[in-house]
Amino acid sequence: MAYAYLFKYIIIGDTGVGKSCLLLQFTDKRFQPVHDLTIGVEFGARMITIDGKQIKLQIWDTAGQESFRSITRSYYRGAAGALLVYDITRRDTFNHLTTWLEDARQHSNSNMVIMLIANKSDLESRREVKKEEGEAFAREHGLIFMETSAKTASNVEEAFINTAKEIYEKIQEGVFDINNEANGIKIGPQHSTPGSPGSHLGGQQAGGGCC
Amino acid sequence: MNFLRGVMGGQQTSGAQQSGTQTIQKLCDRVASATLLDDRRDAVRALKSLSKKYRFDVATQAMDHLINVLQTDRSDSEIIGYALDTLYNIMSNDADETAESEDENQQIAPDDLGVQFSETFINQQENITLLLSLLEEFDFHVRWPGVKLLTTLLKHQGPQVQQTVLVSPMGVSRLMDLLDDSREVIRNDGLLLLQQLTKSNAAIQKIVAFENAYERLLDIITEEGSSDGGIVVEDCLLLLQNLLKYNNSNQNFFKEGSYIQRMKPWFEVGDDNSGWSAQKVTNLHLMLQLVRVLVSPVNPPGATNSCQKSMFQCGLLQQLCIILMATGVPADILTETINTVSEVIRGSQVNQDYFASVNAPSNPPRPAIVVLLMSMVNERQPFVLRCAVLYCFQCFLYKNEKGQGEIVATLLPSTIDANALSAGQLLCGGLFSTDSLSNWCAAVALAHALLDNATQKEQLLRVQLATSIGNPPVSLLQQCTNILSQGDKLIRRGSKVQTRVGLLMLLCTWLTNCPIAVTHFLHNAANVPFLTAQISENLGEEEHLVQGLCALLLGICIYYNDNSLENNTKDKLKQLIEKRIGKENFTEKLGFITKHEFYSKAAQKPQPTFSSPDHMLFDHEFTKLVKELEVVITKAIYKSSEEDKKEEEVKKSLEQHDSIVSHYKSIIREQDIKMEEFKQTIASLQSTNEQNQSTISLQLGQIQQHKDQYNLLKVQLGKDSQHHGSQNSTTQMNGFQPEDVSRLKGEVEELKRQQDILQGELSEKNVLIESLQQSQVDGQTDQMTEEIQKELETLRSQLHVQSAEINRLQAERMELLQKTETSGSLSASGDSSVNSQSNTEMEQKVAELLKEIAGLKEHLKNQSEEKSSWKQQLDTAQSTAAILQDENQKLKQEVTESKKEQDDLLVLLADQDQKIFSLKKRLKELGEPVEDEDDMESGDAGDEDDIDDDDEDDVRDEED
Ligand SMILES: Nc1nc2c(ncn2[C@@H]2O[C@H](COP(=O)(O)OP(=O)(O)OP(=O)(O)O)[C@@H](O)[C@H]2O)c(=O)[nH]1
Ligand SMILES: [Mg+2]
Repeated sequence: MAYAYLFKYIIIGDTGVGKSCLLLQFTDKRFQPVHDLTIGVEFGARMITIDGKQIKLQIWDTAGQESFRSITRSYYRGAAGALLVYDITRRDTFNHLTTWLEDARQHSNSNMVIMLIANKSDLESRREVKKEEGEAFAREHGLIFMETSAKTASNVEEAFINTAKEIYEKIQEGVFDINNEANGIKIGPQHSTPGSPGSHLGGQQAGGGCC
Repeated sequence: MNFLRGVMGGQQTSGAQQSGTQTIQKLCDRVASATLLDDRRDAVRALKSLSKKYRFDVATQAMDHLINVLQTDRSDSEIIGYALDTLYNIMSNDADETAESEDENQQIAPDDLGVQFSETFINQQENITLLLSLLEEFDFHVRWPGVKLLTTLLKHQGPQVQQTVLVSPMGVSRLMDLLDDSREVIRNDGLLLLQQLTKSNAAIQKIVAFENAYERLLDIITEEGSSDGGIVVEDCLLLLQNLLKYNNSNQNFFKEGSYIQRMKPWFEVGDDNSGWSAQKVTNLHLMLQLVRVLVSPVNPPGATNSCQKSMFQCGLLQQLCIILMATGVPADILTETINTVSEVIRGSQVNQDYFASVNAPSNPPRPAIVVLLMSMVNERQPFVLRCAVLYCFQCFLYKNEKGQGEIVATLLPSTIDANALSAGQLLCGGLFSTDSLSNWCAAVALAHALLDNATQKEQLLRVQLATSIGNPPVSLLQQCTNILSQGDKLIRRGSKVQTRVGLLMLLCTWLTNCPIAVTHFLHNAANVPFLTAQISENLGEEEHLVQGLCALLLGICIYYNDNSLENNTKDKLKQLIEKRIGKENFTEKLGFITKHEFYSKAAQKPQPTFSSPDHMLFDHEFTKLVKELEVVITKAIYKSSEEDKKEEEVKKSLEQHDSIVSHYKSIIREQDIKMEEFKQTIASLQSTNEQNQSTISLQLGQIQQHKDQYNLLKVQLGKDSQHHGSQNSTTQMNGFQPEDVSRLKGEVEELKRQQDILQGELSEKNVLIESLQQSQVDGQTDQMTEEIQKELETLRSQLHVQSAEINRLQAERMELLQKTETSGSLSASGDSSVNSQSNTEMEQKVAELLKEIAGLKEHLKNQSEEKSSWKQQLDTAQSTAAILQDENQKLKQEVTESKKEQDDLLVLLADQDQKIFSLKKRLKELGEPVEDEDDMESGDAGDEDDIDDDDEDDVRDEED
């Protein structure tokens, strides 16, 4: 139950690319073959371990349909990580990535880690977007990239965990202000330093100064 | 113009109204046309002061101007503040309304100007956007009226305003920031705003939750003192309820965020009797409701179940049970606590088990269940409390076979404890008391102990009741029907219908799916006539439900009849219905149940809630049962003729079955034979297995032996190789250390160097002598010189002999050196490489050894062979070492000898020097020129250095 850190994620991307399926596969290890259109936003959670530390992931799966865009935008600001998903069997979902990325960059905090996900890798025969294209897009925009299948569960675990690793590294580097919950990061109960809230970073600085 | 009169309040004269309207008109003009900000500000302030009194006029005339001010005068917070205040005054009904409750139904008052004006305002969607942007202004005079205005707009035009806020970028998020406002008034009014904003809008609820609402609200509640806090706590709880009720996603988030744990301390109020203020009662009530929202039976089962689990794990359930058993808790809090505990345990085995173990702190301690049931069958307790206890009991038994068994057991003769008051006794007491409410509650409670549990239905048939003295005991089942048929004999409080409905529901539940109970029931000849009489009679509407239930019971007697009683077989009973009641009449009466006015309400949710005690007729679980049974019973009654046909078909198929059966029998026979064969095979396999096992254990022993041997050998080998490997100890024993060798080498080297010097000197002297001779030859030769020459000649030959000796010595030394070196390297490389190699070999062999028992011995033989060869090698190495030592000794001797010789030689040389010196002297005396030898000596010194350097290099090479 106790965690060292809590990260908030959002999953974004066109409708039908498999966002809800990715979340379901990650939290429940199941696959849902029928498209249950997401209305607004749905919540899911799971605990993972990184570097021997328990990390709680709270994930908001957003609706891809255009009409929900204004609602889903409200979730960018408070997220530490985003999975931007497209469907390798539908080129248009790949073509829309730029719009998604602009939207995300505009509304999120600048440190948000974005993972580009090429989903439905099990449908090789119907592939319309080459892996190299995804990789190139990710490289160009400074994203992490991964091909997944919510159906076979291939790389699903990795996608969520690698994103968390990236956030974790950023915390270690001091990029994230972990005391500001608006960044989508929260320190777990057993991790917080005794004394005044926010003494975590301050303490480190004081330690550096005394030498 | 009804509302106008209301606004003016009657006392106003039309003249005053006239002037008011005119003033407002003037003020509006000034707001619109004044070029100076000060003038406009004054005008808006004046409008504000008139806005309560002349609400209608200000609203109709000034609204547009005010909105204009909001748009254009943003830089001046004062005028914005006045404008917002004015707008708030005209929208708000607070001044008119006496009781603005949270109840949604009452939200729109009949004569509502606020709603109209709000509609006018929000017709322009930009106005809301404008208002939202004004809320970003930090100035208190802007933000506060802004918050109040938006709250009012939300109250009056909820959905439209919500939609606009939702689509405006960061709209919800920005309103959430109000909770962080350091000014308490704004934070508190922000809470009210968020309450309105989140009302029945799941999308907004989720965003608000995403913006850390739980954390912030729970923090505020804690800061304010939890249930002891003021109305702010109440507002926070209401907002939390808005966020969680019917919103599964948010509930999941709440649970996953570990916020259930944070609710537990709220209920640490048990015995601390610090008084129960009205606010505290309200707060606690809302807190309990919040718990119920999370475990409501209408939530998805999985969600409720995981919340129930964490409520037990964090001790919240335990805390609630303390309140349950505490004294001095206000009745409505106690009632709500019982309801809450009910839903926290419902269908959760762990929580139900815990609940069964709770004891009241009485003397002697009684189970909480017993204490609660006492209240249920106690007429003096409040009705809602009794309902709550019934609910709690039902939830305790819901999907809890173990609990059902425990309750029924308290009634069985074998387990009855005469001394303690038991749940069973209380239920029986309730069943046959003179209070119809107790009858009903006890009947329903008992029915829940039987629900879906065939075992307990049969067990309960064993219960016998002692009646009046002299009469034989009567079964519980019969006693229930007796009360039904005796009808009016007992004078009861409450409605007779309630008692009978309760008993009939119990009987229907009992007999359903339990043919033995049906047989028991039919065994009493009076029961069927009673039922048919009840059904066939033409009674008033108040009897309809009882008639319907009697029809249901008779139907159950048919449907679950196993034809074990000749007089009451399915067919006979059906014929009876046809003759006495008529099929149509029967089904119509059966239909009375579901058509009853209270049926559908009870079907909605498990909790028994009734607007008055008289309405307590249906139990939720029973409505489900009726739904299932009505269909099958109707079918069973109607399809009688077809059923006969069917039965014949069944008979035919039964005959077919016979042949099938015989076919199967033969198959079974075959299989029997095969089985016998298999058994034998198994037996033989078992014996083989045993044999194998013994062989294996034998072999295992052998392996162990071999292993031990091998380990022993390894240890020995290890010792040997230690001997062998660490030359140090060996050589030390033999007094032959590498240091010695190198020391010897050094000595030899030193000797060599000295020899070289000597040789050099000798050759120099030769040259000198030759030159001397030359000079002698050149000069006149006399006898003296001839003598000297002779002497020189002998000296030379002597020198030759000596140098030959030295050469020999040198050669010998070289030999010795080589020998020492080879012996050293031999002993050093002796095992390390070979040994490690063989070690891995041996290890491999060990692995093989474990696999193949047979191969082991051979390998071991190899090992020991190898080992002896190792030993031989070791011996040779040792003997070599010994030889080397001897040689070394010899060499030492030789060295000392050669040293002696060298000493002699040196003496000789000194003599010669002397002679040469004298010769030179003589030569000088003879007038011959003689070379000085100082220069040569300095050259010698340089040579010595070179030799030293070479020495060091040699040492280094050896180290490498
Ligand atoms: N073969 C295959 N099908 C997938 C995969 N992931 C999702 N699907 C299917 O794609 C469809 C859409 O999946 P969803 O997860 O509901 O899509 P979504 O992105 O959540 O869509 P919205 O909620 O409308 O935004 C469903 O029929 C899934 O069964 C995958 O990896 N492989
Ligand atoms: Mg979805």
